[in-house]
Amino acid sequence: MSGLAADLLADLPEADVRSILVLFGTDLDRLLPEVARAADAAEAEPFRRACHAIAGAAGAVGAAALEAASRHGMAIAKAEATRGALATAALAVAEAASTIRGEVASLLARLPQT
Amino acid sequence: MAPAPVPAPNAPTPSAPASRARVLIVEDSATQAEIARVHVLQLGHAPEVVGSVAAARDWLRDARPDAVLLDIELPDGSGLDVLRALRAEGDDAAVIVVTANASINAAVEAMRAGATDFLVKPYARARLAVTLANALEKRALLAQLSRAQAQLGRDRFYGFIGASERMQAVYRTIENVAQSRASVFITGESGTGKELAAEAIHRASARSSRRFVALNCGAIPRDLLESEVFGHVKGAFTGAVADREGAAKLADGGTLFLDEIGEMPFAMQVKLLRFVQTGTFNPVGTAREERVDVRFVCATNRDPMLEVKAGRFREDLYYRLYVVPLELPPLRDRGEDVLLVARHFLAQFSREEKRNFRDFDAEAEAVLRAYAWPGNVRQLQNVIRNVVVLNDATTVTAAMLPPPLCSPPSAAPQSAPASAAGTGIESRDASQLPAEAAAGAAGAAAAPDLEEILPLALMEKRLILAALSRTGQDVQRAAVLLDISPSTIYRKLAQWKA
Repeated sequence: MSGLAADLLADLPEADVRSILVLFGTDLDRLLPEVARAADAAEAEPFRRACHAIAGAAGAVGAAALEAASRHGMAIAKAEATRGALATAALAVAEAASTIRGEVASLLARLPQT
Repeated sequence: MAPAPVPAPNAPTPSAPASRARVLIVEDSATQAEIARVHVLQLGHAPEVVGSVAAARDWLRDARPDAVLLDIELPDGSGLDVLRALRAEGDDAAVIVVTANASINAAVEAMRAGATDFLVKPYARARLAVTLANALEKRALLAQLSRAQAQLGRDRFYGFIGASERMQAVYRTIENVAQSRASVFITGESGTGKELAAEAIHRASARSSRRFVALNCGAIPRDLLESEVFGHVKGAFTGAVADREGAAKLADGGTLFLDEIGEMPFAMQVKLLRFVQTGTFNPVGTAREERVDVRFVCATNRDPMLEVKAGRFREDLYYRLYVVPLELPPLRDRGEDVLLVARHFLAQFSREEKRNFRDFDAEAEAVLRAYAWPGNVRQLQNVIRNVVVLNDATTVTAAMLPPPLCSPPSAAPQSAPASAAGTGIESRDASQLPAEAAAGAAGAAAAPDLEEILPLALMEKRLILAALSRTGQDVQRAAVLLDISPSTIYRKLAQWKA
């Protein structure tokens, strides 16, 4: 099974999946500004840590595109770490996150409220 | 990405593991921590979540998990630091390192740090279930192995020191009998640790939260013994100015240890028999019957069956109490234990007396091995205390050992009489003691005449010598009677000898 939260839905009650997806949104709310800030300040290590956290959370809920964009950001932070490269990577992460937020909202609407 | 279709409601019921494990999840991402928490809960375990190295260390200060799901990259450091700290403290929790980095190097580093297993993120519940179950099983097996190895060759047991086969048998008997309510009859020469064995039985039993009450039947005047055991009410006899609970009542729910039970007067044995049979007794001076729940442990340094045959011990009481016999071996039959015990006392007394002793030289070891130790561990204890108080060096030499140990080994007694009390200083020859003490050893020393007022130093000397005489030259017991340290007695004896 693939796709957003597919593995979670196979393993867990829907109510638990709902609370996990809500927490995922909270994680993104906290981490995306940190990615943007670190890129703007050209701070490679904070940028890498924030991307690492997003990649982990995205991987856990099956948000493959966001996970890939975040891992690319981690690689950029380790390699070039120029302000421009970080800004480009941050933009890719933000775009992927925006897409996944829509998918999360759509899925949450279909999951029963507890 | 198109949203995945919602599968048919899948409501997995929590698995039923053999036992509910306490699982600490160390994960800074709220999303991943929640996924792990729900999985662990669904697997029938009890999850706890922390999000940093510092929080993990704080949590581990107060609690012990069965398993840890440990993220490596945490905001304030590496999860491997938590792992190393756990292992450094000897914690055997099953630690599963969880990371997105699936490289061999990461796995090797985690395993070197003491991880039980390694899990790559993201993981499905089935993978977590298998990994966690295996890790917990491995931990349980290692603990079982460790317990079995400890039982096979342990050298410490509830205050006992000894790794010999004879002592392993003693430890096993104590463990086996502890959980039962059966009476235990401990036999063994003086100084072999009969009271220690009784306490060990109590501490290893389900009664350990209640009192262990020890009563030395030989040390209590005959006419007071009944009151000591059963208590009395105010006015029961001259001097009974208030109600007083006896050992039987104090030991309710716990263990009553009757030491030197062979010394108990025959008339008192009748009353004890009734108590053992019914669990009830009457405090002295009242017809009011009291009922208690007491486990009996008795001890004697005599052969109890011989005492029965000689008519000094009631046969019916003997059979009531002699349910599980426990024989403590004399020190001379415990092989290398003599050195193990000697080293223990050397370290303890060196610490107490602020000396630098570390070990014995080969000659001193040979002397300790060859000696027959008629006074058993208590005598060894006194000898080592004597050495530590009167000498200071890093190594104990044979010359430091008091007579008769410092004589050539061939001159040392090779066997001890069964009745030898052997309590330490009695093993010295009379020349080691001042004239008064030597006289006391022969049973001639008397307590100082309290009508006669002498200089304090002389009164002190007389009192110490009288206490030694009263206790059969047992320095430990004399020190207890005088409420002073045994080393004080040794120092005084050395001063007087000089």
